[in-house]
Amino acid sequence: MNTLEVKNITKTFKLSKKQRKLEKTDDKHKIAVNDLSFIAYPGEIFGLLGPNGAGKTTCLRAISTLIKPDEGDVLVGGSSVVNESFDVRGKIGFLTSELKLEDHFTPNYLFAYFGRLHGIEKDVIEERRQSLFSRFGIDKFQEVKVGDLSTGMKQKTSIAISLVHDPEFVIFDEPTNGLDVLTARSVTDYLLDLRNQGKTVILSTHILSVVEKLCDRVGIIINGRMKVCDKLDTVLAENNEEDLEELFFKLIQDEELRGEL
Amino acid sequence: MKNIFTIFKKEFYRVMSDKRLIFTTILLPGLAIFVMYSAMGGAINNSSDDMDSHKIIVYTENMPNEFRLYINQEIPENPEFHDVADSDMDTVVALLKEGDIDLIILFDEDFMTVLEDYESLNYTLPNVDVYFNPGERYSENSIGVFYGYLNSFFHNEATNPDRYGSAYDIATFNTNNNGLPFVVQYENKGIGQGLSMLLPMLIIMFLFSGAMSIGPDSIAGEKERGTIATLLVTPVKRSEIAIGKVMSLSLISLMSAISSFIGIILSLPKLLGGQLPTDVPVYSIYSINDYLMLLSIIFVTVLVIVGLISVISAYAKTIKEASTLILPFYFLSIMIGISTMFSGEGNTDLYVYLIPIYSSVNMIISILSFEVIGIHYLLTIVSSLVYVSIFIYVLNRLFQSETIMFSK
Repeated sequence: MNTLEVKNITKTFKLSKKQRKLEKTDDKHKIAVNDLSFIAYPGEIFGLLGPNGAGKTTCLRAISTLIKPDEGDVLVGGSSVVNESFDVRGKIGFLTSELKLEDHFTPNYLFAYFGRLHGIEKDVIEERRQSLFSRFGIDKFQEVKVGDLSTGMKQKTSIAISLVHDPEFVIFDEPTNGLDVLTARSVTDYLLDLRNQGKTVILSTHILSVVEKLCDRVGIIINGRMKVCDKLDTVLAENNEEDLEELFFKLIQDEELRGEL
Repeated sequence: MKNIFTIFKKEFYRVMSDKRLIFTTILLPGLAIFVMYSAMGGAINNSSDDMDSHKIIVYTENMPNEFRLYINQEIPENPEFHDVADSDMDTVVALLKEGDIDLIILFDEDFMTVLEDYESLNYTLPNVDVYFNPGERYSENSIGVFYGYLNSFFHNEATNPDRYGSAYDIATFNTNNNGLPFVVQYENKGIGQGLSMLLPMLIIMFLFSGAMSIGPDSIAGEKERGTIATLLVTPVKRSEIAIGKVMSLSLISLMSAISSFIGIILSLPKLLGGQLPTDVPVYSIYSINDYLMLLSIIFVTVLVIVGLISVISAYAKTIKEASTLILPFYFLSIMIGISTMFSGEGNTDLYVYLIPIYSSVNMIISILSFEVIGIHYLLTIVSSLVYVSIFIYVLNRLFQSETIMFSK
């Protein structure tokens, strides 16, 4: 089963002196993600929504095996990120602004390089390169070094490379950040394509309109906890709100009233 | 294994496709050493030529004419003699202090007459006063030259048969009187000893600086730029990343070291000047076996150094931090090189060959001075490989540590 199941994960970080000063706290630890759970299914786009510092990136890092949760587990198509991280990495396509490409190389070289690291045959890499590069218009600058590309070109190249192994699980962190309207559109269109192909797509963003337009289901994280998690219509109906923005602010206000923000 | 090769190839291509990096890491070390050492050798030869061509200026009093003739015959660039009596002694001493003249030699009045009057009852040895200025290199050189000639000229008097009856009577023993050749050494040993003083420290320094120029960028740099995370989300074992990087960095460091090595060999004739026989190229004194041993030691040493630098680079957050943390190790390795410089032979204690880098330095000395002991060689190779494995294991652990890889 190609579901992605986040099961009660908790992750605590030690705060350095400098970080404690910045966060104006005396606590030596910060709970970035607190008993977080959700399930993403194949053939749907799951939107992870939350303000800055809510724990979205920590959650995605745990799914992508870059960090290990202190408690709980994430099952990616049945493989555990705690015990079978190697298998998980072969199944996911992960995109985040933290994952950068080396300036010295060209999109062409890097696509083939990561293809080889995923153990893909040469002719398959070539086939995927042609289809992804023409889809995102990378073929026009495929031999230009990454260092000489614009932000949008780099982002498109990163997206293509994250999909080199045709993963069943696609996890994109703020994929349209820094892109112009046209490019952003081509990315969101592609996400819909992936969903229609039956992939499990998780999208993290703070742009509410993206969630409204794309996501089948949504989870809102505030202060490391999952506040609501369901189909968008159901979430709005249950909270007596008409649009997502109102709901989002209401949840944040509730949290502030509780004194946790 | 395939992934190791893929990573190795990419890291190698990274340097090889960058003209500036090829120049700075591979061509420049050899070129810089060649130019530096040739210039140094040139300067040493020039200084000795300069001494030979300098006209020694001597102020003298009562100098026997025979001695003056003898000196002019022996020293091609005839010294310039002045009489102290033409000016006063204080002025002459001041000139010597200033370095304007090189020597003052004052012979007793009637020096020769007194010398020959040895049969007189109240005979006293005649005296020569010699003044020189050790702060001036020409003066310091001149005193040596003149003492030599004074001795050799007046020595004849000491063996004058008229004075002592028979020269044989004043000798107490003979040395090497049977006409056999008395210099016993392997022809190349002397050169080998010279090289074993100079090369080990240089080799370690060049291996280190080669690895230092690319190691921090390849690992700490990837952390700093956020490109290592892209690699860490692929299904590649951390150990494969570690081995791939270490192998590629080692090959490049090795190329850098070989470039330095060629630079040294090419500049040796100039550096060692007259010490080398001119008709035999210096590199021909060693056999193929010696070179293979040297290369194998250099190879394992490169692995150890690159392993160390990789671990430090993985631990550091930035390239700058990595470079700073590597520096103490660099100085330590230079100190190891210097400490063995004057030993002239490899250490004989077995445990020495278990200490990383120190073992290599001693082994290089043994190879260059033709005194290799099998067990030492074996221990150096095996212990170095063990250290590399430890470094790769640690590197693997560091790549797995989220606090190390993602600390900001």
